Amino acid sequence: MTDRDDRPGRDAEGKTSANPGRNHGLFTYLGKPKSNMTRRSASRRQFLGAVGAGALGGLAGCANPFESETTEGSGEELSVPSLAQFRGSGTLVEGRPAPGGTSIEDLPDLSGSLNIYMGGGEGGIYERFIEMLEEIYPEFTGFTDDAPSSSQAQSIVEAVQSGGSQADVFWSIDAASLGYVAENDAYEPLAAEALEPVPEDFQGADGSWVGVAGRARSVPYNTETIEESEIPETVAQFPETAALQGTMGWAPTYGAFKAFVTAMRLQKGAETTRQWLESMRNAGTERYPNEYVVTQAVADGELTAGFANHYYAMRVKNQRPDAPLDLAFTSGDAGALVNVAGILQIEGTEKDALITDFVRHLLSAEAQEFFATVSYAYPMIPGVEPVGGLPTVDELNPPEIDLADLSDLEPTLELMSEAGVSG
Amino acid sequence: MSREGRVEDLRERFSRVPGIGRPSELTLLAAAIAVALVAPLGWLFLEVFDLGPRALELTLDSRTIEILLRSVALVAIVTAGSVLVGVPIALLTARTDLPFARLFTVLAALPLAVPSYLGALAVLSAFGTGGVLTSVLAPVGIEQLPEISGFAGAALVLTLYTYPYVLLTTRASLLSLDTSLIEAARTLDAGRLEAFRRVTLPQIAPGIAAGALLVALYTLADFGTPNFMGVEVFTQAIYARYNTTMRPWAALLSLQLLAVTVGILYLESKVGADDEGAYQSRGASGGAVIELGTWRYVAALFPAVIAGLAIALPVIVFGLWLSSDAGGYTAGGLAFSWTYGWNSVYLALFAAGASLLVAMPVAVAAARGRSRLAGLADRLSYVGYATPGIVLAFALVLFALNTLPLSYRETAYDLLLILVFAYVVRFVPQAIGAIRTATMQVDGRLIEAARTLGRTRTEAFRAVTLPLIAPGIATGAALVFLTTMKELPATLLLRPFWFDHTLVTYIWRVREAGLYGRAAVPALVLIVISALSMAVILSQEGSNT
Repeated sequence: MTDRDDRPGRDAEGKTSANPGRNHGLFTYLGKPKSNMTRRSASRRQFLGAVGAGALGGLAGCANPFESETTEGSGEELSVPSLAQFRGSGTLVEGRPAPGGTSIEDLPDLSGSLNIYMGGGEGGIYERFIEMLEEIYPEFTGFTDDAPSSSQAQSIVEAVQSGGSQADVFWSIDAASLGYVAENDAYEPLAAEALEPVPEDFQGADGSWVGVAGRARSVPYNTETIEESEIPETVAQFPETAALQGTMGWAPTYGAFKAFVTAMRLQKGAETTRQWLESMRNAGTERYPNEYVVTQAVADGELTAGFANHYYAMRVKNQRPDAPLDLAFTSGDAGALVNVAGILQIEGTEKDALITDFVRHLLSAEAQEFFATVSYAYPMIPGVEPVGGLPTVDELNPPEIDLADLSDLEPTLELMSEAGVSG
Repeated sequence: MSREGRVEDLRERFSRVPGIGRPSELTLLAAAIAVALVAPLGWLFLEVFDLGPRALELTLDSRTIEILLRSVALVAIVTAGSVLVGVPIALLTARTDLPFARLFTVLAALPLAVPSYLGALAVLSAFGTGGVLTSVLAPVGIEQLPEISGFAGAALVLTLYTYPYVLLTTRASLLSLDTSLIEAARTLDAGRLEAFRRVTLPQIAPGIAAGALLVALYTLADFGTPNFMGVEVFTQAIYARYNTTMRPWAALLSLQLLAVTVGILYLESKVGADDEGAYQSRGASGGAVIELGTWRYVAALFPAVIAGLAIALPVIVFGLWLSSDAGGYTAGGLAFSWTYGWNSVYLALFAAGASLLVAMPVAVAAARGRSRLAGLADRLSYVGYATPGIVLAFALVLFALNTLPLSYRETAYDLLLILVFAYVVRFVPQAIGAIRTATMQVDGRLIEAARTLGRTRTEAFRAVTLPLIAPGIATGAALVFLTTMKELPATLLLRPFWFDHTLVTYIWRVREAGLYGRAAVPALVLIVISALSMAVILSQEGSNT
């Protein structure tokens, strides 16, 4: 069992490789489905699809998009796809400069398997990146669980407290869940090399976690019905703004909205927040099922402005480059909250070295370009720019709160339901 | 009781004399299995004990009380709605000269074949601004449809997909109704309505109650519909708190949900206590059809519209998703893969096999031995059936976490033992029911004959009983297989890392990610699978009567 490549269905079994051969006999006996073997071929197809899409998109600055770089890894030839294949498609992506930062080519090879708690994972986009890594490194397998981040944070803490978790890393979509795991001492600090590419603002205390991709709260507005200058500097002024009466929309059931309300509660207190929700409701703010629909409604002129995560506007703009849609950001309050997806090493894992290399891959130039152009996230390394002329992270003025405190959701839900804006 | 029956009964009594007070090994095994099935629920109590005095505080918290009231209200409205829809259709198809009555019966029962969460998904995306239906109806000038979601949405969807329970049970009691009684009432000058109220209704009430019980339990336990519709009832609230830092509260709510379930079962046992008389009167049935005249064509619209709405809507919505890009809702990752279908089949086969192992001893003991213990074991196994899936799954998570050291816990998850255990607990009663019925129909004299020919008990079982109950075993396995394919909450919570998505968890996942369009293929596959499971149930009922 030393050469794991000899084993059929290595993907499926590699998962428990803290103890690699343990379940092998039993699995064979039970006739375990070859789901992950077939998954690999499915992922290859997806990957090729993504490559095709990337090649069709704007490729300015890239001489030969189909060219693959070949590197000499650990005596084996590995094929790292060209940059274009990590890029999304569409007008927003056209003409981007080559990203700075460390390229995957210059990083150590990944080999082995990781159990990854990957809360939500931005609609499959993170999973797609794992599949790309598996394509590059046939020796690497990532087993993922995509329950909500908050749920996984709970599971990690409970499992660590009763003996240990089955997972090695936690790739959470929000800082609150990372903070929860960190506060409960269910983490192991990341290695310096894993932390190094990212500014300290987007790291957990004691190196408990590091940001991978960021997102900002924003105010999408219709450029035909309102001027940017008419949009208030703070969210507190929104209910009294004449131009916005009865023409705003929000999606209170959406997680990011609840985080926004929580940030406001932490910054301004529960009573002010409740009053703000009430006056927004009285100003005729309309409910929508999610923030993508809110943003679409703004682009359609159905609404003048709304509250939404920034990337929804990018998604709309990418499909409809001519839509009269732009983004405004408030200053110093919850309306400009920047939250991050980040990664944390779970206490008790014995795969420190692999995790360090894995995290470095997530912070590579290619990965950051991928998150910036496919999910329109804020990159976490200085060498990569956000898409679509968004202000850079340092230009935003987020509220001064500890992102980890956003996990305290219950009081928020309570005040939201008191204000008649149930989440 | 006939003379012959009495003799049979006496013989049975005498043959049991030596065994009185000493349960057989089979009975003990059955009891042990039943206890093992129910035991994990105990960990919910432990989790609540950990809360200490805060448990009381949370019980009296206004939000907890709201959840309780909302759940009870949803159950009451859906049950009442199902009776209002199901009973008239039962009357129309069984007691009137409705045209194509047979066709309408099948049609009206079909919504049972659609898992309600798929109905919810279809309704959510069909209505509202920018819904699928507006794009279809735009050419005829309808561009705005109200959004259907929340409490009203959940009530509507659940009624639409559970009323067939009431329809089927009411129809069964209508068909066995002694119509000479109605004629007698009419000759005594009772009007048609009065005859219905005083004769028909009391006779079919237990049938209606049986259907209403199924609707109430289904509504209370349903996980997908309230989650999709965003209604904070027990199942939704438990899952939401399970997902945040409030798992002990989730345990508390789980216990409350179990208490409400027990309450409903108790109420039904009060109403259903005298159902023997109703089902047993088998006088002249069939005649005395109510003639509707030309109204019968108008009346036919009722079942046609209801069933059409329930069946056609999801098929149209999912079909449209298949044929278009569903308004950008398929963007991003999460492409569908047929391996998810294979994963569902694999789990369902595993569950069906494991359920048979558990069901055989319990069912045979329940059918044979009349000891209290055997009966209790049989009953106890039904607790799992009434236990909502989310509660059971949560209890199993706690059980695994608190009793198993890490390496065993990993193995138990990785070998799918925990997940399959959940399936067995939830669905084994279906297998037990099928096998027990088949075993009870085996003529005891055949076994006696085998024994007198020198076969041991085991040999006799293998040579005589087993071939005779084989169809029952097959039916039981098929039912477990098909219901496992549709199961949502346990699959969601207990799936191990290495196991990729199933059809159901994939649908859940794309819905969460807002990529509804991706759900089209798995949703249509699940509807076909559900239709198959209904065909099995109906054929089983057909062979029993």
